[in-house]
Amino acid sequence: MTGKETACSLLSQIGKSLLTKPVELPQGTLEMLILKAVSLGPLHGYGVLLRIQQISGERLEILQGSFYTAVYRLERRGWIKGEWGESENNRRARFYALTASGTRQLKSETARWTDMAAVVAGILNKKANEI
Amino acid sequence: MSLFAPIRKLWRSVAPRTASDVEKEFRSTLDAYQEDLIGQGLPEDQARRKARMDLGQPAAQNETYRDAIGLRLFDELGGDMRYGLRALRRNPGFAAVAVLSLALGIGATTAMFSLIYAVLLHPFPYAGADRITNPIMIDDRYPDEYSYFELSKSQLDEVRHADLVESVLGFNGSHMEITGGGLPEDIWGVYITENAETFFGVRPHLGRTIEPSDAANGGHPVVVLSYRFWQRQFGGDPRIIGRTLEMDHSPYTIVGVMPRSFAFNDIVGAGDVYLPISLMRPVANGPPIVYLPWIKLRPQVTPAAANAALGPIVFEGKNQPPKGSPDHRHLALQPIIVPYRQDLGRTLTLLLAGVVLLLIIGCANCSILLLARGRTRRHEFAIRTAIGASRWRIVRQLLVEALVISCTGAVLGVAASYWLAQLPLLLSPESFPAESVIRISPPILAFSVALALLCGILFGLAPALRLSRHDPARALPGRQASIAVAPARHRWSVLIAAQVALTLLLLATAGTAIRGFLRLTQMPLGYEPAHVMQLGISLHVHNPEQWNRLQSREARTAYIEQIRQTIASVPRVSTVAVAISATPPDADAQSSFLVDGTANGEQQQARVMLADQRYFAALRIPLLQGRVWNADENSRGDFIAIVNHAFATRYLSSSNALGRQLRIPSLTAHNRYQAVSAQSTAWRQIIGVVGDARNDGVDQPVVPAIYVPYTAALQAWAQFLVRTEGDPLTCLHAIRAAIASVASDQQISNSASAYNGTFTLSEAIERDAQYSRQRLFSILFGVFSAMALGLALVGIFSLVAYSVAQRTTEFGVRLALGAPRAHVLWVAARIALASAAAGMVLGLAVDSFLGAVLAHWMQNTFAAGSLFVAAALLALGALLACLLPARHAIAVPPAEALRYE
Repeated sequence: MTGKETACSLLSQIGKSLLTKPVELPQGTLEMLILKAVSLGPLHGYGVLLRIQQISGERLEILQGSFYTAVYRLERRGWIKGEWGESENNRRARFYALTASGTRQLKSETARWTDMAAVVAGILNKKANEI
Repeated sequence: MSLFAPIRKLWRSVAPRTASDVEKEFRSTLDAYQEDLIGQGLPEDQARRKARMDLGQPAAQNETYRDAIGLRLFDELGGDMRYGLRALRRNPGFAAVAVLSLALGIGATTAMFSLIYAVLLHPFPYAGADRITNPIMIDDRYPDEYSYFELSKSQLDEVRHADLVESVLGFNGSHMEITGGGLPEDIWGVYITENAETFFGVRPHLGRTIEPSDAANGGHPVVVLSYRFWQRQFGGDPRIIGRTLEMDHSPYTIVGVMPRSFAFNDIVGAGDVYLPISLMRPVANGPPIVYLPWIKLRPQVTPAAANAALGPIVFEGKNQPPKGSPDHRHLALQPIIVPYRQDLGRTLTLLLAGVVLLLIIGCANCSILLLARGRTRRHEFAIRTAIGASRWRIVRQLLVEALVISCTGAVLGVAASYWLAQLPLLLSPESFPAESVIRISPPILAFSVALALLCGILFGLAPALRLSRHDPARALPGRQASIAVAPARHRWSVLIAAQVALTLLLLATAGTAIRGFLRLTQMPLGYEPAHVMQLGISLHVHNPEQWNRLQSREARTAYIEQIRQTIASVPRVSTVAVAISATPPDADAQSSFLVDGTANGEQQQARVMLADQRYFAALRIPLLQGRVWNADENSRGDFIAIVNHAFATRYLSSSNALGRQLRIPSLTAHNRYQAVSAQSTAWRQIIGVVGDARNDGVDQPVVPAIYVPYTAALQAWAQFLVRTEGDPLTCLHAIRAAIASVASDQQISNSASAYNGTFTLSEAIERDAQYSRQRLFSILFGVFSAMALGLALVGIFSLVAYSVAQRTTEFGVRLALGAPRAHVLWVAARIALASAAAGMVLGLAVDSFLGAVLAHWMQNTFAAGSLFVAAALLALGALLACLLPARHAIAVPPAEALRYE
């Protein structure tokens, strides 16, 4: 596909995700996802939002107002750092990057989440004769 | 700049981003999203709306930000506080009453607490003050009496080296005289051993304290001034260090000034100046120097152990009992606070109870006012509940408003408490240690803050819980005017009843105190103190030249008589008498005596007063039988005596007193300063009986007393009782000048101390311990009860006023339906009247229980009469407070009242 077609399909996918209601997102995991999104490269606010949509495959919905609350919290705890800069269309925007402690936090959160998921999945997959 | 930088840094670390910053960022994201949506094909206004729906409103972002970083509680509380302050400003009448009620209560309680702190908890500024003890000697046969004693130098050193003792301070006092300019002035000097600096651990106000180096080479003539002396004599001059003070014709260098709280000490007398003890010169031909000791024990040492260890050291040498007689005495180390704690504990507890009652009344007042005002806010809270405020949120807001009132009241109260706390010290200075200094210190401030918070929660909780309970459906009014259904008034009634009961308690206590004090002032004294003053002189034992001249009895008598005549020659002086330790209302210690016809060995004791023949005329003590001795008999001094009526009744009841004989074996010379007549202990004939004059304190019954001419046992000092026309103190200057012209270096004592000082006899009565204590109670309790009465009446008044304002419609309906005006008045006021009546009954019941106990604590008698007077006063006040605002109920015409919404 050409660049333009990629862009159009991306945009239509965004529109789809924002109009439908797939999966609701609890607050704690949103923070983890933001950390992950920012870890792939510094982004401004809207860019983070888009990237989350992108990497989740548009399967997650963010409740109104919860996005920025999560961003403020992360910034307060020193896991991401915000700085004013210029975005791609020469707009002033605030760019967020992961700090060292943020990297550590992401790592530990990822480990915890995957452990928990593995344990729960293991329990749920048990057949009656395996107990 | 440098002050604000760290504050600004702190502030920024709390909320690093500004509101505009947050909003700008949000808007940039919003715009980006909006553009995306437009790019997808949505029209602009729809894109705008959707963007805002999905992401949020820009204006609300700052709040979200502050909430996200945890500042929400802070913001809400701040908002509540500002709201509370605005509400106070909008209702100045309400605010004034509420804040003042609390300011009175909190101020008085803080004042009493700071007094207790200064007097009982931290009265002495010395290091390790709880380990400093005063050694006293107790005779097992009379355990209630104790005496101080002195140690010789070697004994002092031995005690210092004992195991259980950390350090020892030796001290002694002596009259000093400021010479070298102007009229000579008598001051009191306290000599202290040179370890004073480490023993006391008190930092001097200026300069330094007495140091060990001052003892080297026989002693350097240095002197340290007390704070009061420095203020009085030198006007608080800060450049005093290094100047010279000439005392007893020798120059001393001033090296320091002690701080205000240092007033060492109460045993020998608070010194005007402090000197190293190595400078203390023995009296011409006198005994060697002795030391009064203060012993600082090591930590964890019990007084009992110390008594056992130190007893043997103390009881050798001159403290040994006479040969052959058993030693009934034992040593007791008394912590220096003990004499005060016994007397003061009850006094201060009583006063503290009084102010706590006042505080409770003030809080009840505020609670009533909040409840009354809260009724007008039902609408506001109903709406807030309807749009989602939790009950806790509303309760929190009301509590914060209550705390705003209580903290404002506390600020005013603490400011006032500094002066209020001085009041007991001014009224009864003898009851408190001289070192106690009232200061607003951190513990006091912490106490008042805690008190403010406690009070705020106390009086705010009830209204808060009540007002937050409203059901929005019922409280939001429709168009129909609601005739206020009488709400549950139980809380108001209880509060008013409690207030009235407590006020009655305070009033009754004040009544008892005032009655007791008045009874004391009206007690017959047996003499007339008006226009009489005592002048004390001391003969110069330190001046060998003068002292040698006055050694013999005749010379001394002539000298004293010459001074007496000089004083009598001053205009407006009517009578001058000589007395030695015979100034009423208290007199010196008892002595034993023997009356003819009674068996030897009976321990009969009486006061022995040394006076001249004009004594009775000067004091206007009536002569009941016989005669007073004449001038010749006075100069002879022996073979005659006069007794008072109490003596005649107790010891001479069987026969006529005149002509009986008595003798006083102890009337001999005990030291070198006394000049005693040859026959002073011989039999004396009783030639007269005089009326009883108070000699054991103002309220104690008169003790038997014997009067003998003072020439029988002359001392190194004497007092003159001077009766003048008009105020005696105005003649003082003329008397000083007259004496100076006759005997140029004889001066009159300047101090007002009870021992050989200069003061009027009315002052002596005011200084009597019982008199001043009763005066303290009656004034303070009178003030408390007046304040409580004011608060209670204001509380009732404002409650009825609010209630009437609320129920205007109801009264309009009643009047329109034809109710008589008196009945409407009754309806308006009846709840308050009923509560007040209930409170009075409760108060009467409680006071009949407690009244006797309280009176006993004040050393008074309980009088039912004062209780009923108090009740009548309170009833009248409460009636007025109920009826005056109720008049408004009938003042509004019914038609207007019905239209009132």
